Amino acid sequence: MQGLILSLVADLSFDNWMTQLRKGLLELAVLNSIAAAPLYGYDIVRRLSDVDHLVITEGTVYPILSRLKNSGLVETYIEESQEGPPRKYYRLTARGRDDLYRMNQHWDSLHHAIGGLRKERHR
Amino acid sequence: MNDMTPAARERLDNYLQRMRSELRGTRAEVADEVEQSVREHIEIALAEAQAPIGTTEVIAILDRLGPPERWLADEERPMWRRALDRVRSGSEDGRLAYLSFGLFVASIVLLPMFGFLLLIPAMFVGRAWIELARDRGEPLGARRWLVYPALAVVLAFATGLLILAPPLGALAFALGGDVEPLLDIPTTRAGEFRFLAGLNGVLFGSWWMIAAAFCAAFLRPIRFVFSPMLDGLQRKHFAVLAAIGALVAAAGATLIYYRH
Repeated sequence: MQGLILSLVADLSFDNWMTQLRKGLLELAVLNSIAAAPLYGYDIVRRLSDVDHLVITEGTVYPILSRLKNSGLVETYIEESQEGPPRKYYRLTARGRDDLYRMNQHWDSLHHAIGGLRKERHR
Repeated sequence: MNDMTPAARERLDNYLQRMRSELRGTRAEVADEVEQSVREHIEIALAEAQAPIGTTEVIAILDRLGPPERWLADEERPMWRRALDRVRSGSEDGRLAYLSFGLFVASIVLLPMFGFLLLIPAMFVGRAWIELARDRGEPLGARRWLVYPALAVVLAFATGLLILAPPLGALAFALGGDVEPLLDIPTTRAGEFRFLAGLNGVLFGSWWMIAAAFCAAFLRPIRFVFSPMLDGLQRKHFAVLAAIGALVAAAGATLIYYRH
């Protein structure tokens, strides 16, 4: 019984850690998803959903897109679609591109540093 | 939106209603943008389904979108909604601050119906929260403003009562009924004024000296009850009150002595 409770507590703290990590990474993932070409909201959500454990609830992506738009990192335009309703496309602004470049650099350096720490542990 | 069964339509409408309710209070452009994007998302997701669209398809899409309550980061949610959530699901001691504020508001609303009696529990619930936060070494943060109103009003009321009530009672006793004939009050207008001013001075001044001595003797309990507002209270403050009382009483006695 005690073991079960301890494992439940461990699961809860791991879930909490995952949630915090996901929150921090979602913006970076959203910006990267539209770095190569503009995408409409549904398509962004689909792409991010394909990344394991990144998007648990698809609706989370829309407030992020809205926040990125309000802070001037992305802009939108509407395009007619032959397969359904008109679609709102999101693309990076010049400022968004600069910020994304710096964010990716920071992510790479973090990733590298964590990798280094893990290697030290295995030595 | 797409052709769907009444049950599916109802399900979708309920969801959109829930979403609007959750987005209420965020900046208007965020709420509009998110609502518009989510509607577009649902339309695109349903575009390939066969009409009429049933509840199964709608539920599958809504489940993937997830509960709107989980979409916004905490800092994006309006303050009143965060406060409501903390009251609903916060830790027990965290709720005390909100309970204190609720009792304070209720005491104001119910003022004509002895609502002021609620101020006392509001103050003590607020004090309990402050002590719990201190025990844990947590800063009081912005939530202190939820408990300060009750503390401030009770403190102001208690101070007024302490400073004014006993001498006013004594004055009413002295000037009423059987005592007044014994006081040798002058019959001239100027003399009567000097006597009354002097009597006020003696009563208030004497009482302030007594009250200062009493409060100085019970400094720690007083500081504790009204902490953190009276954390800086020291005996020297009561010494000042006693000195003022002595001056006022002396001036009053002089006026009474020279009343004729």
